[in-house]
Amino acid sequence: MLPVSTTDGELIQRAAGGDRSAFELLYKRYSRPVFGLALRRLGDRGRAEDAVQETFASIWRSAGTYRPDRGPGAPWLYAVARNAIVDRARNRTEIPAEIPDEPARDAGPADLAEQGWVSWRVHRALEELNEREREVISLAYWSGLSQSEVAEFLGIPLGTVKTRTRAALARLAEILGDEFE
Amino acid sequence: MSFEDLVGTEGLSREEEARLRRMHELLVAAGPPPDLSPDLTLPPVPTEDADPPEVAFLLRRRRGRVLVLALAATLAAFVGGYSFGHSKGKPSAFTSIRTVAMHGPSGGASHGVINIAEKDAVGNWPMLLEVSGLPQQAKPSSYYELWLTHNGKAVAPCGSFRVNANTTRVRLSVPYALKNFDGWVVTTQDPDRNGLGSVVLTT
Repeated sequence: MLPVSTTDGELIQRAAGGDRSAFELLYKRYSRPVFGLALRRLGDRGRAEDAVQETFASIWRSAGTYRPDRGPGAPWLYAVARNAIVDRARNRTEIPAEIPDEPARDAGPADLAEQGWVSWRVHRALEELNEREREVISLAYWSGLSQSEVAEFLGIPLGTVKTRTRAALARLAEILGDEFE
Repeated sequence: MSFEDLVGTEGLSREEEARLRRMHELLVAAGPPPDLSPDLTLPPVPTEDADPPEVAFLLRRRRGRVLVLALAATLAAFVGGYSFGHSKGKPSAFTSIRTVAMHGPSGGASHGVINIAEKDAVGNWPMLLEVSGLPQQAKPSSYYELWLTHNGKAVAPCGSFRVNANTTRVRLSVPYALKNFDGWVVTTQDPDRNGLGSVVLTT
């Protein structure tokens, strides 16, 4: 079994050599970030699922093209995922019923790329938290529950919820380093 | 909810507070990670494939890349043409665009994977089915059948096969609109008995 500390780059290189367990660990680390990215870009779960499948098929096929001297694994994986998602978006054949006259208020391509990268890195970092830390972050930030309700749900004192949240944020800061400073 | 509500600032140094606050902002910006559907619980089964796709590296692009790409394209064109000229009669490579994992209805050692390729020009979905752990057929005339399901019921037959080893791979093809179905099952079939056999694999 591969150690948890194995870097993404090492896993990609192992996958290039046909190591299935390395590929599966990459999948465990990145399937959710890829799915999140695809879902935001494509806006459809079925198509996003297809994009995830295509991304990992591409990773398996092209892992040999990864060069560790050119950077860590995460940006390379992001590029593979982005290519697969863009391909899928291009394949979309539906024509919009009406072309809007007004400029879109949605985020532009640069903003979307930045948002995508932030989510990608944050979701990937969340995969490295332990179950307890991930649970408290998920409940505190995205469940819609109040702090007291989170405490009640987990059956722990309110102070412990805050302590755990702090610990989880500190761990995230360790994982992400100064990447977003 | 604000940083103050969620984390609080009591007992934090200014530096630590800034660090945690940054993580808080990133979590808010990132939004929740989506739940993975059951179809995505397993990675796709890598299949044989012709050429790896070009992957653009995000961080540092090198000046010689254009030249390298031009040379690679020339080489690929030559190799591609050569391969094409020498591939008559060989089975084509199977490129999966979607993978569906199957498992025994009550766990167990049996499992399967359906790799689905792009729909062909006339509307057929080529599929590569790989099953493991299914017992060999009880009779020479018995076989397994793959079905698409709707509302949990096997409604559209997708192909028959027999197994004679621990892992069996078969190529199948179906003409249905896959989006109209909600799952897949494999059943045992016995020509001496009418109707659907028992389900041995499901999604």
